[in-house]
Amino acid sequence: MKFRSALLAVGALALTVGLSGCYESSDVTRFEPGEYKGADDPLLAKLEDPEFRAELDSRFDGQRDR
Amino acid sequence: MARMKFLCDADRCIECNGCVTACKNANDVPWGVNRRRVITLNDGLPGEKSISVACMHCTDAPCAAVCPTDCFYTTTDGIVLHDKDLCIGCGYCFYACPFGAPQFPTTQAFGVRGKMDKCTFCAGGPDEPGSASEYQKYGANRIADGKLPACAEMCATKALLAGDGDLVADIYRNRMMSRDGRPQTWGWAKAYGAGA
Amino acid sequence: MKLIRKHAASEAVKFSNGKAFDRRTFLKRSGLTAGGTALAAAMPLSMMRRVDAQTPPERNGGPVETKRTVCTHCSVGCGAVAKVQNGVWIGQEPDFDSPFNMGGHCAKGAALRSHGHSDKRVKYPMKLENGQWRRLSWDQAVQEIGDKMLQIREESGPDSVWMCGSSKASNEGAYLQRKFAAFWGSNNIDHQARICHSTTVAGVANTWGYGAMTNSYNDMHNCKAMIFIGSNAAEAHPVAMQHILRGKENGSKLIVVDPRLTRTAAHADQHIRIRPGTDIPFVWGLLWHIFENGWEDQEYIRQRVYAMDDVRAEVANWTPDKVQDVTGCTEEEMYQAAKTLADNRPGTIVWCMGGTQHHVGNANTRSYCILQLALGNIGKVGGGANIFRGHDNVQGATDVGPNCQTLPGYYGLADAAWQHWARVWDVDYEWLRNRFDDGRYADNSGEPSHPMNLPGVPVSRWIDGIIEDPDHFSQRDNIRAVFFQGHAVNSQVRGPEMKEAVEKLDMVVISDPYPTHLAVMSERTDGVYLLPTATQFEQAGSCTASNRSLQWREKVVDPLYESKTDAQILYLFAQKFGFADQMFKHISVDSDGHPSPEDTLREINRGAWTIGYTGQSPERLKLHLENKHTFNTTTLKAEGGPCDGDTYGMPWPCWGTAEVKHPGSHVLYNPELPVSKGGLPFRARFGTEHNGNNILAEGSWSKDSEIQDGHPAVSYGMLRTMGWHTDLTPNEMATIAWVAGLAERPNGSVSEADIAEFRDMESDALDGVAWHTDVSGGIQRICLKHEVAPFGNAKARCIVWTFPDPVPVHREPLYTSRYDLVSEYPTHEDMQTRWRLPTRYASIQANDYSGDFPLVFTSGRLVEYEGGGEETRSMAWLAELQQEMFVEINPADANDRGLRDNDWVWLEGPEGGRIKIRAMITPRVGRGVVWTPFHFGGWFQGKDLIDRYPDGTAPYVRGEACNTAKTYGYDPITLMQETKSTLCQIQKAA
Repeated sequence: MKFRSALLAVGALALTVGLSGCYESSDVTRFEPGEYKGADDPLLAKLEDPEFRAELDSRFDGQRDR
Repeated sequence: MARMKFLCDADRCIECNGCVTACKNANDVPWGVNRRRVITLNDGLPGEKSISVACMHCTDAPCAAVCPTDCFYTTTDGIVLHDKDLCIGCGYCFYACPFGAPQFPTTQAFGVRGKMDKCTFCAGGPDEPGSASEYQKYGANRIADGKLPACAEMCATKALLAGDGDLVADIYRNRMMSRDGRPQTWGWAKAYGAGA
Repeated sequence: MKLIRKHAASEAVKFSNGKAFDRRTFLKRSGLTAGGTALAAAMPLSMMRRVDAQTPPERNGGPVETKRTVCTHCSVGCGAVAKVQNGVWIGQEPDFDSPFNMGGHCAKGAALRSHGHSDKRVKYPMKLENGQWRRLSWDQAVQEIGDKMLQIREESGPDSVWMCGSSKASNEGAYLQRKFAAFWGSNNIDHQARICHSTTVAGVANTWGYGAMTNSYNDMHNCKAMIFIGSNAAEAHPVAMQHILRGKENGSKLIVVDPRLTRTAAHADQHIRIRPGTDIPFVWGLLWHIFENGWEDQEYIRQRVYAMDDVRAEVANWTPDKVQDVTGCTEEEMYQAAKTLADNRPGTIVWCMGGTQHHVGNANTRSYCILQLALGNIGKVGGGANIFRGHDNVQGATDVGPNCQTLPGYYGLADAAWQHWARVWDVDYEWLRNRFDDGRYADNSGEPSHPMNLPGVPVSRWIDGIIEDPDHFSQRDNIRAVFFQGHAVNSQVRGPEMKEAVEKLDMVVISDPYPTHLAVMSERTDGVYLLPTATQFEQAGSCTASNRSLQWREKVVDPLYESKTDAQILYLFAQKFGFADQMFKHISVDSDGHPSPEDTLREINRGAWTIGYTGQSPERLKLHLENKHTFNTTTLKAEGGPCDGDTYGMPWPCWGTAEVKHPGSHVLYNPELPVSKGGLPFRARFGTEHNGNNILAEGSWSKDSEIQDGHPAVSYGMLRTMGWHTDLTPNEMATIAWVAGLAERPNGSVSEADIAEFRDMESDALDGVAWHTDVSGGIQRICLKHEVAPFGNAKARCIVWTFPDPVPVHREPLYTSRYDLVSEYPTHEDMQTRWRLPTRYASIQANDYSGDFPLVFTSGRLVEYEGGGEETRSMAWLAELQQEMFVEINPADANDRGLRDNDWVWLEGPEGGRIKIRAMITPRVGRGVVWTPFHFGGWFQGKDLIDRYPDGTAPYVRGEACNTAKTYGYDPITLMQETKSTLCQIQKAA
């Protein structure tokens, strides 16, 4: 089962590669991020807090031309 | 929710490297690692311009897209961070990044030889904010303390701005308005022709 | 990571084409070169230790304290906030509240915390013995050094020990350095202001009264035009650019005049390349267009300026073609700049070392002043002469610190000055006088003079004090020992002669946080002492920013290692020499031997009346520190709050005592404000008439003044004439009588009956007590009451009849690339004695060196380093950014010499000094001109001297001092050295 699907995938890939040589495609093969596999960052929850967001925004005033 | 953004006002940037040492200071970045650097175009020629560059915390971050260990994550407000415990230091992100942001320390000062290091928007990493392990691996977590990146907060001329993108844009727009017939924005001449 | 197909070619991220991100440039600039990598490999251990020390607060335990200090790297006065835990400087935060920097820092300021854990410091007292550094205890060091100084004093007199104080010291430290020299009995003390803005101080003070920046960095928000001559603010005063660019965004035009296309010039509307050493023809060239078109402010000149017509006559010679020939600037460029300045008023002028460091420096600075007077720009908000000083406290050290030609407060060295300070110090004048050598030596005019009244050897000439033939030297014997407290000798010219001089000395003492170039540059194997000295982050005290504002620094951390503060060290030596009780009579000293900075400042307050350093009490400074956020960032004025109405830092003059609550003077000579609110006319400093002409102001006075005309400086006699003297309190009256020599020093409270006899007395002695000698402050208090400027109301003058060139005239540099111009614009004749030393001019210019040394050689700052650089090159975060000494050379000159970028080259000066450095080929410099930074040291003529440093103290980055190859040349008024225009040749190093 596993083997078959892998074979299929390889086949599909070969087909794509094979065909792509025959015409100019406007499609590009790109990477997209996979699912994050690291540890949870406690900061994320904190950033959801509107009060904390407001604190960060008011901190930004320091960067204005006073 | 707005996204956290850096913006460097090229009309204000004087290439003083304050942002570079502010970063070193806040994060204890070791010799040879530059999370932030100042780039100069036309050095020594009329029209010389500088901008300060670090990780731009891309919305669709190429580093995250190519990472074979999927160690990148993006905070809800758009800060791109990574988990050094997963990072294998392969350098694929270094290929992908358009800004040269990923750095690969040769020393153990960050606790993890060879693992990728980059600007965290002073938001540390996935460890407990403010913990010793977070500091050793990622440097400061100013965001958790309600502060913004040290580089922008200490910019000599307030050229480098960091914060909620809407607020950053607001300052920049105001500056443009007050530039009294001086629309010398980065790229302005390119977009509208010299003399416009 | 997952591979997917995406139908979004048009949305694809535009990757950089590589052009915008010039990696090669980056690699070169950030120095990931062999040197950097090698260094990095050697660093992990110390880095790890640092990281450990940096464990975040929560994990470390103990409260985190916030300490507020001021950056020690330039004169902008940037506030910095330090986080300290268990005595360790663990973090740095932006000081958003500071109206000077609003949180901003350059590379140096943003790296301040590295001062808190520098391991390159001198850690304990040391002595060089048989070529080895040996550790000493503080007591041993003080006894040995002290005994040697006493021996030299016995054999050769007190003038044979030459001392150098510092612009890096606090006001209190710098003041005590000068006071120490006075009590030791010598004027042989100086500091780096000599080679910084001494020509500004002399030139500007002789034009309108005070030799300081007239406005402020913040006031540049109000400019309509700005012209920078010989100033590269983007690297030398980076945070000033915040204000400059705000001014530009408000619509100001920006003109930068510089031989290089500096980073400041990169932001300018007009950059004009000038041949180094031609400032006067340049300014006269601008004035030629201004006069030609009638753009001068005639009413302003009539009321407030004397002798502009004399300038007009000289300017008439500088027709556009002549200006172009001499300066290299075209008629179009000159006209455009002149018109910009004329059309956009008020405008300001900024100058720095590019203008001052010339053998005609005093005349250069006067010409800049005259330009501004012609345009009517002085004494105006948005105008002024914004002279950017270099070090964090060079203004304060100039005002009240170690200067060889004056006592604190610019009182000079005449007997009256000494008597004034003897009163302030509460010591017997005769006792002070007896501390000095009692010989008589030739002064400038050849008259015999007592060493107490004769200016000492300035910092620019200390090596001549060692090697000059004693028969031509105006003191008893040559200098036999030097005591440097906070100065870098690599900032002085004539390296090979300096080496010879250092080797001749009996003793070298270096009191500094770092060993400095001086410790290693000579072949000495004995008699060098290093005294670990605290930085300003390890002590409290005040410092004066370029705009004359005083700020209080809190102590961030205790002195590192075995360091002691300047004042503590001076106290130890004062004890050794037996005058500590006299010198610290009114300054308390704590159990650790720390003289109180508050008491010291109060003593300055009691003495420095000339410049209004009297109202800035420690209490007021601390109040400003607490309430920084209440000050407007353009006007610098507190709006409400406890400091309401004050100008931030009470820029001097802050008249009267602190109780009078003068707000300080933000914009000097601004008659739009009353004197009590910081307004002023020009100072009456040069008499009331000249050649029968009235030189007091005509029809101009500061707002609300009760004397609505020009008037001389205010004395008791003048108060009496006006009938205002009756307002003096009994205490004030008694003090004036004491100063006049008619009564004893008042002791305790004085009743009206005690002083009744003086109230109606007509006495020349009493009448002669003036605004600046009345130590009660009564005269200034009454002046303020009547809104009269204590220093009078006069015209600024365009001619200084006591100077060699009353009207500034062009004189070719001693070493000039345009030898053909020497016959028309020759230098001065040699001078027999300038202060204490013969000074050569024509005899040097007699030879034409332009054939063998065709390149004009000039120098300047890098943003990462400061001064001699020993401190900043010892900080990893900064050192990483600039790892090698280099010379900027134009591609054409490089190709003529077969040079490639980054080649090693020898740069050789006409006096034989040569330096081995890297070539940086760049169009930043014009053809025929080369430029080097001046912060490097630790190499000498091709050799890295790393082995000569005590273990672990060599800075991360060492390199040739550019001044090793620089040459002779001194301003006749201040003995400023000529570093901005000499010659050299460059060739590829083998």
